[in-house]
Amino acid sequence: MTAIRLEGVSKRFGAHQAVDDLSMVVERGSIFGFIGPNGSGKSTTLRMILHILHADAGVIEVLGESGRRAANDRVGYLPEERGLYRKMTVRRVLAYYGGLKGMSARRAGEAADRWLAKLELSEWSKKKVETLSKGMQQKVQFIATVIADPELVILDEPFSGLDPVNLEVLREVILELRRKGTTVIFSTHDMTKAQEMSDSICMIFRGQKVLDGTIDEIQASYGADTVRLRIDGGLKSLGSLDGIDAMRDFGQFQEVRTERDPQELLRALLDIGAVHHFEVTQPSLHDIFVRIAGPAAEELARG
Amino acid sequence: MDKIFRVARNEYLNVVRTKAFLFSVFLMPVLMFGAIGVQAYLQDKVDVDDRTFAVVDGTGALFTSIERAARARNEAATKDGKQTRSYFTPVRADGDTAALSDQVRKGKIFAYIRIPQDAIERTGEIAYHSQSPTYRDLAKWIQQVLVSEIRKQRIAAAGLDPALVRRLNERPMLRSYGLAERTESGGVKKAQRVNQAQTYMIPVAAMFLLFMLVMTSAPLLLNNVLEEKMQRIAEILVSSVSPFELFLGKLVGMVFVSWTLSILYLGGVAFLAHRFGFSSAIPPSLYAWFLFFQLLALFIFGSIFSAFGAAASEIRDAQSMMMPAMILVMMPMFVMGPVLNNPNSGFAVAVSLIPFATPFLLLLRIAIPPGPATWEIVAGVAGSMAFTLMIVWVASRIFRVGILAQGQTPSFRKMLAWVVSK
Repeated sequence: MTAIRLEGVSKRFGAHQAVDDLSMVVERGSIFGFIGPNGSGKSTTLRMILHILHADAGVIEVLGESGRRAANDRVGYLPEERGLYRKMTVRRVLAYYGGLKGMSARRAGEAADRWLAKLELSEWSKKKVETLSKGMQQKVQFIATVIADPELVILDEPFSGLDPVNLEVLREVILELRRKGTTVIFSTHDMTKAQEMSDSICMIFRGQKVLDGTIDEIQASYGADTVRLRIDGGLKSLGSLDGIDAMRDFGQFQEVRTERDPQELLRALLDIGAVHHFEVTQPSLHDIFVRIAGPAAEELARG
Repeated sequence: MDKIFRVARNEYLNVVRTKAFLFSVFLMPVLMFGAIGVQAYLQDKVDVDDRTFAVVDGTGALFTSIERAARARNEAATKDGKQTRSYFTPVRADGDTAALSDQVRKGKIFAYIRIPQDAIERTGEIAYHSQSPTYRDLAKWIQQVLVSEIRKQRIAAAGLDPALVRRLNERPMLRSYGLAERTESGGVKKAQRVNQAQTYMIPVAAMFLLFMLVMTSAPLLLNNVLEEKMQRIAEILVSSVSPFELFLGKLVGMVFVSWTLSILYLGGVAFLAHRFGFSSAIPPSLYAWFLFFQLLALFIFGSIFSAFGAAASEIRDAQSMMMPAMILVMMPMFVMGPVLNNPNSGFAVAVSLIPFATPFLLLLRIAIPPGPATWEIVAGVAGSMAFTLMIVWVASRIFRVGILAQGQTPSFRKMLAWVVSK
């Protein structure tokens, strides 16, 4: 069962080709990471899935519906830039958002109370939004996204700007949604986050898909050619070694990609200096992305 | 449809529940009627500065009368031992205008007048000198005293009986009536006195009230839409409702806010009309017309303001875009005078058929008996409704793109491109 199916979707803004012939499939009940550097067309794609923007070409099918907006009441959306009515009370804002998704006033009110209790905001229910701290407002925004019990939740850069506490809250909400069978699609430029949470991903760069599949599939196809290590002298000491394709410094440890036999590499390293850590591993999504998109993408991907 | 209603309901409650709304309910009547009252009150009560003025009486026969009149006025200006108006005190002076002018400059006297020698025999000029040309009370009072005094002395000099002169001077009264009508039984129904309230006060008040309601309600939408855009609420909303539903919901919500106000005011008017027995002067259909034209005007100007709110990216831009629309709202007020003067002239018919002005000017003309011809009402309403639909469509197209566009506020040309874009 697919939750979302895109086929040959394109969108152009003036001279800028934002999305170019994109096809992808999101399975129901999965957590799907939509990744790529800033400005690569993620938000545009998500907006097209919601029919906020209309695709210039291609087919978009959401929860089995390909008509405009037909499925929107069953979709919850958290945009990247998110705001709330500052002068309304928390409960009224939530009930209103629920109502716009077609909930009755009573059901929306009840759902608001339930969620507020769950995220420990009950005492703020009657307060105006503007009196809430930024962190609390972020929680209210999550609730607004899921209040109508959507089958599909679309989160655009949900982790940006969150404090560590809310990051954890959001992670739990997402995992709980999956347990209930909700499909979650989120976009992020943070590859580590994507790798941690998603079942499958789609990687997009300059409007074009560069990679998709489950995390396991992707990593398996790139093999275990990555070594994570920590040695005296760090990256500098590695300069003299042969057969190193790429190096990346994480400060506390370094990652190298190599065609050499790992055991042989270890021996060579021991000749240089003390080795504190040595681990043969699969490449990270970030590395895979850089390999595909080329070194030019490296800067963007870090952004 | 359901979602439009939900948006409208939220918009309505958001406005009506605020203290500002409650305040504005009372503010408008205060503005409309209070301002006149307050001004009249202040003019009389606040200015109690005494004014001494010099009189250069060339005739030698008028000063005593001026003095007597001033005394009478000053006595009348004292109520319950409290001074309610300025006291005027005349002093006799010789004709040295330079010295008198200096005294005015130094504040010793407020003004001086020069009455020529032959003022009683010949009608000439009496000069009033002051350095406060905007203060008219003293000059007006002197004029009135001198006219009556000089006239009295002329009558006496001619040896006439003052009572006879008064009778000869009585003015015949011209009264306005409508037309006589034939009754069904073949008789003739006598013409009705023209009711000044009906011909002037009611149409003017109706149009003015409509104008005030549009001016206070429609710009609310601009701020409201702009706020949703700037606070980034709009994107969440349009993921649940289509931009058109959002746009229409807001418009409908605002119409209901405005209707709430007008029902309160019209209810008040109807109550007062009933209480003070002039309800026959306001035909019930006029209330219905008012609400109908209010709906049209709000849809027209509400659409324009929402589109601007959606297109702008900051308050300052929105306000400069608002100016042209404001001129359209005010245009009917500019031509109110000529239309009132001749409500069936070609000019009046033409301006009341300009679609955006129709709600105001057709209302005005309907309120003036006997009202415009049926075809004019039909054409006006049809034209205005067609225009309303068109402007709602155009504005909703701009709204649809603008509400999600960030960055620079577009030019009017760019907005037109949005209208036709896919």
